Amino acid sequence: MNGSRWVFAIIAILLLGVACSNDATGGQMQAGTLTLRLTTPHPDDGAMTFQVSGAPIDSAVAINGSLRLFTRREGSSTVVGAVVGALANGALITLDVPDVGAAARYTATVLEVADRQDALRASLTGYVLTVTP
Amino acid sequence: MRIAIFALLALIGTTPALAQSPSVSSWRDAVRRLRDARPVQPLQRARVVASPTSIVDESEPNDSVRTADSVALGDQARGVVNPANDVDTWFVDLTAGQFLSVDVDAAELGSPLDATLVLLAPDGRTVLAFNDDFDDFDSRISFRVPTSGRYFVMISSFGRLGGGPTARYALNLGLVDCKAVGTEQEPNDAPATATRMAIGESGTGQLCSQNAGGDVDYWSFAGQAGTTIELDIDAASTGLLVDPFVALFASDGTTRLAFNNDGDGADPRLQFSIVATGTYYVAVTDVMGNGSNPFPYTLHVRSIVPGPGDPITVRTEGIGLPLGLAVGSTGDLFVGDVTGNRIVRISSQGTVTTFAAGIQSPFGIAFDASGSLLVASVDGKVYRVTPQGQATPFITDTGFPFWIAVAPDGRIWLTDVLDRSLRRYSSAGQLEARFDGIPVGGSGPGPLAISPSGEPYISQGTEIWKLANGQFERVFGDAAIIWAFAFDVAGNIYAPLPTVGRIKLFDPTGTPLSDPFAVGPDAPQALAFGRDGAGSTVARLFATEPLIGRVIEVNPAGVTKRGLPVGFTAPFTPEAAAAGLLGGAGLSAADRQFLDGIGNRNGRFDVGDFQAYLRTLNGLPGSVP
Repeated sequence: MNGSRWVFAIIAILLLGVACSNDATGGQMQAGTLTLRLTTPHPDDGAMTFQVSGAPIDSAVAINGSLRLFTRREGSSTVVGAVVGALANGALITLDVPDVGAAARYTATVLEVADRQDALRASLTGYVLTVTP
Repeated sequence: MRIAIFALLALIGTTPALAQSPSVSSWRDAVRRLRDARPVQPLQRARVVASPTSIVDESEPNDSVRTADSVALGDQARGVVNPANDVDTWFVDLTAGQFLSVDVDAAELGSPLDATLVLLAPDGRTVLAFNDDFDDFDSRISFRVPTSGRYFVMISSFGRLGGGPTARYALNLGLVDCKAVGTEQEPNDAPATATRMAIGESGTGQLCSQNAGGDVDYWSFAGQAGTTIELDIDAASTGLLVDPFVALFASDGTTRLAFNNDGDGADPRLQFSIVATGTYYVAVTDVMGNGSNPFPYTLHVRSIVPGPGDPITVRTEGIGLPLGLAVGSTGDLFVGDVTGNRIVRISSQGTVTTFAAGIQSPFGIAFDASGSLLVASVDGKVYRVTPQGQATPFITDTGFPFWIAVAPDGRIWLTDVLDRSLRRYSSAGQLEARFDGIPVGGSGPGPLAISPSGEPYISQGTEIWKLANGQFERVFGDAAIIWAFAFDVAGNIYAPLPTVGRIKLFDPTGTPLSDPFAVGPDAPQALAFGRDGAGSTVARLFATEPLIGRVIEVNPAGVTKRGLPVGFTAPFTPEAAAAGLLGGAGLSAADRQFLDGIGNRNGRFDVGDFQAYLRTLNGLPGSVP
């Protein structure tokens, strides 16, 4: 391979890389944190299990020391967790994700809730989990 | 002046409610049966009428008041209870206030008669006094008559079955003489008039009831701080069917320091460590009052060598009738107050608060896997008391739950004294197994503890048994009653012996390691090792003393090993439980049932149960790890 053919090959590879990019904006993926927020109809929730899925999640951390979080990964895009403590409306957990721009693709679901005396909620009506930037 | 017996009883708080209720198959009843089953003592005459004024032979028929034979004070009446169901009736004219003594002699005449005596009022119907056995099988009645008149004495064979041609008897009628005998100096019915003696000496006296209040004899001695003394009464051991007891009072004459009823058969014996130099008072009495027979006794006051657990320290006093004892995860003591119908909490600083109220006569108590306190009540239920002090019925299918313990796996063991069984329940309170405890004999199964191997050990009175592979096996026995014992980490057994007023230490095979381990306690009935602020069991040993309403600690310098951890031990980490909750493997069906049992018990393992488990491990946010 002579010199001109080497130059052509390099240019071709660079052009292919641009064409294959999925960045609709044309920019890079931006890793960062998203926030899992709870809306609850009760003032005395003590523990909850939940599921977050839709896009890759690197890790999850309780929002502060008043909560204790346990998680289990089910594939690269689904995490189930249990959070224990004085649960209240607002931010519960931060999610470390590889692309904060994909926030809209996440869905979060409440699986079980117990009050602070360990009784299981019979109904999950009114409970909402959202993932926000 | 003689002190009323009931005033003394009130003073020393003697007969506890435990002895009064429950009325059916109580451990106390069982203890009493054990006591009464003591070996027959050698025959010894308590009193012999040497020279009666006259001898009067019976004249049949004399089976009724109407046909009674006449006899006078000072006479000796003679007859034969023949045939078997024969009754001989005698009458004697008495003056109000006279202290009548009617004493049967049969055995010394070579007669096989086991007599019973009845004293009837002048109306010929009202029974004033009854006696079966006093001087071995020979009966005796002592009674101060309230009015002048003709009184009737009826003699027959026990059960009206033992009469016959050889069933001869002599009936000695006289007056009781309550003058001082031996070395006592009457009047000595109060500390101020106590008869003085010294440690190392023995005093002799007679308990003689001048009135319905009974008699009490006070003795005093000088005690030096650091001395451990023993008070030992000999009375029943001479062959008399009597039941004296002894109490030790402080220098003020009113503060009761120790009490004993049956430390040596029916005779009392106690040990006490003197912590302050001063004069101490000993009260000797019995529980009978009018109608009881005078009897002689000997009081020995000895100096003895203390045990490694001496001296004791009083942690709390003034609790009504403290019996069951458990130690919480932060080191607080929890005590069942039988007469107060409550659970008392004693902080490490000594602050006493009512933790839970309204539980009728709590006996055994233990913490369950969820950190709630289980309380066996005389009402037939086991209550579960939350850490906030709220009590709800938990186990309700027992007859009389008595003692309770929680195994490391969270299962609950309890003894039921109604059907004499040892029962195992799941941590959720479901009956899993029942073991018939009648084969252990005695009055077992009674107090209960879990050994280092996880096997339940029970006391049946004077013996410790264990349940191994579903079968009871005897471990060892002792001459004294063993109450609610405790294990150290080496499997050594600290046994409270309430009837002899001390704690004894055995190795795992039952060989005594320290006897006494501590003589300072009065009548210890439940032992428990302390825990530190993080919940670890430590080398400190506490005991309840129901008869005098206090909780004591033995000298920690004498406790060489820390206590065996009591109760539930977490079988898996919070992370493992969480993984199981969130769909991972690793928890068995039994694990899930266990976790549900310590939580909301709704039939499946859920997030509420997980929260409860974290609480058990002090793993909730904000809790002390």
